[in-house]
Amino acid sequence: MNNVLEIRDLATHFFTRDGVVRAVNGMSLDLAPGETLGIVGESGCGKSVTALSILRLIPPETGRIVSGSICFDGRELTTLSDEEMRGIRGHQISMIFQEPMTSLNPVLTIGTQIAENIVRHRNLSWSAALDRAREMLDLVKISDSRRRLDEYPHQLSGGMRQRVMIAIALSCNPRVLIADEPTTALDVTIQAQILDLMLELKEKLGTAIIMITHDLGVIAQTAQRVVVMYAGHKVEEAPVDELFAGAMHPYTRGLMRAIPRTDTDAESGGRRRRLEEIPGIVPALTRPIVGCPFSPRCAFVAARCRAERPPLEQPKAGHCVACWETRRVLEAAA
Amino acid sequence: MSGRFSLEVTDLVKHFPVRGGLLRRPRIVRAVDGVSFAIGRGETLGLVGESGCGKSTVSRVVLKLLEPTSGRIVLGGIDVTRFGPGAMWPHRRRIQIVFQDPYSSLNPRLSAGAIVGEPLENFGIAAGKETDERVARLFERVGLRAEDKRKYPHEFSGGQRQRLGIAKALSVNPDVIVADEPVSALDVSVRAQVLNLLIDLQDEYRLSYLFISHDLAVMRHVSHRIAVMYLGRIVELTDKRTLFSQPLHPYTEALLSAAPVPDPAKKSRRVAVRGEVPSAEQPPSGCHFHPRCPYVLPACRTTDPPLIEVAPGHHVACLRRPAGGDPAPLTPTQ
Repeated sequence: MNNVLEIRDLATHFFTRDGVVRAVNGMSLDLAPGETLGIVGESGCGKSVTALSILRLIPPETGRIVSGSICFDGRELTTLSDEEMRGIRGHQISMIFQEPMTSLNPVLTIGTQIAENIVRHRNLSWSAALDRAREMLDLVKISDSRRRLDEYPHQLSGGMRQRVMIAIALSCNPRVLIADEPTTALDVTIQAQILDLMLELKEKLGTAIIMITHDLGVIAQTAQRVVVMYAGHKVEEAPVDELFAGAMHPYTRGLMRAIPRTDTDAESGGRRRRLEEIPGIVPALTRPIVGCPFSPRCAFVAARCRAERPPLEQPKAGHCVACWETRRVLEAAA
Repeated sequence: MSGRFSLEVTDLVKHFPVRGGLLRRPRIVRAVDGVSFAIGRGETLGLVGESGCGKSTVSRVVLKLLEPTSGRIVLGGIDVTRFGPGAMWPHRRRIQIVFQDPYSSLNPRLSAGAIVGEPLENFGIAAGKETDERVARLFERVGLRAEDKRKYPHEFSGGQRQRLGIAKALSVNPDVIVADEPVSALDVSVRAQVLNLLIDLQDEYRLSYLFISHDLAVMRHVSHRIAVMYLGRIVELTDKRTLFSQPLHPYTEALLSAAPVPDPAKKSRRVAVRGEVPSAEQPPSGCHFHPRCPYVLPACRTTDPPLIEVAPGHHVACLRRPAGGDPAPLTPTQ
């Protein structure tokens, strides 16, 4: 099966007064048609910059893709002209963001904003595009769609606005939908509704989804395969069941044990259990990272980890990890 | 300290008048609409609910940053409800707050040492050299380095700033700490560090926490008892274990089932709640939750269910959950 998206050795850097920020530094990933790929990591790990790089939305004043390739459906995106890229964005690859209020235009009606995207990419009249916009609102389960077309974003709740964003993103049947923390700003009951909707539409339309989040719960409930990022690098990649059952990278393992959970008891012997901490903080990305980026915080650190960056290896089929000490980590886990 | 409880709140009400426009009548937002609870020494009461449920207003009112519309606030056995700023002053140090975003709650022009030392001098607890010594001890206790005293808030990471916020709250030896989403802005790996610190400090100083969060997993981890709020009211209040193993209110059940579990083997079995939280300006008649409730009865539309103790220590406000009733799951009515 051909991948719809293939990223190889992507590096996206920002050039600031404080120096070069290596936000993404050698990232590779594949996305199969119709698949949901999760990218998980903490703030500053490069997950959003990866997404913006795919869409070529890195602000040129401050940053650029310095090397690597992004291949979509056999086309190299990094060398396309701006005009060619505009033909892909919102059409074949779409994106939804965390805060729908800031990505919707406050002075245009919902109908106009959906129809605009349809007219841009499809050879349709304005009235046909508005009809299609209404169908999209029905598809994302916004009731009373005819009336809603004439409403403005401020008249909608946060959950409804995110539904509108999904309607716009899917209006041209994209092959890939990138969702960057799509439910982080929403309440938990609304989050559940939006995630259910996205997965349902994915089945219906066959769109591949890249789900970017810091929330391991959202990843576990939505993704089929997961990429874990740390400090601009991919440190682990595995099918979701495999990752949650047997993570190999010390960072992934640490994350899983650091989260409080709703499904298990937080007490042992009547006392509240302490969460496992990952000591320290993420490294500054303005200095080149020598060796493994996680080595200053890692319990398994060895001399080699501080000197040489570990390559991504595949100890199990489909399960990659970038760690020099995998053997010791797994022995300690056993 | 006298009295069994560090903080007792009875029938607390806070209404905000909203000025009408030219043609609109003035309205009232019933942010908090009759809330009662008590927190014992060394106990954490969790207050959980979605945005707009009134949990943050409760925190501002118990701190007397907002005047209650009616109700009673008893702090360490002393009724402070009607105390003006002058009368409240000597009692202020008994109750302190830790905010969600430490960056916007710390004075950017003061050094970290001055931020923690200021309350000590304001309340006349220490002066001069003694202040310095106490600040040094506090820094050590919350895991900041002595040399951090000279740094300014912007020089700290998010987790360190929250440690600073905790040191500031702790400096005046309070009995009660209101923690309003204290870890929501922090990354997973740092969140565990701050939660552990809060738990350790509570055990050490027998602090009472009013812990406000929208995150059920965090709640389960830190709380002893949990109150679930919906549109200005507590709909369920019980010990943590009972709440998670046998939730009785339909809203609690929906909230628990909506939380994404970080385990792909446990696919969430979601209890469908329709729609979104209605406005607190025009809350639905009867039970505020009835328009979204899958178990609604005709009486729910007209009768406002009181919060009653249905089993020892387990309070629920639901017509379908009478005192001594069968705790088995309900059958949906629609």
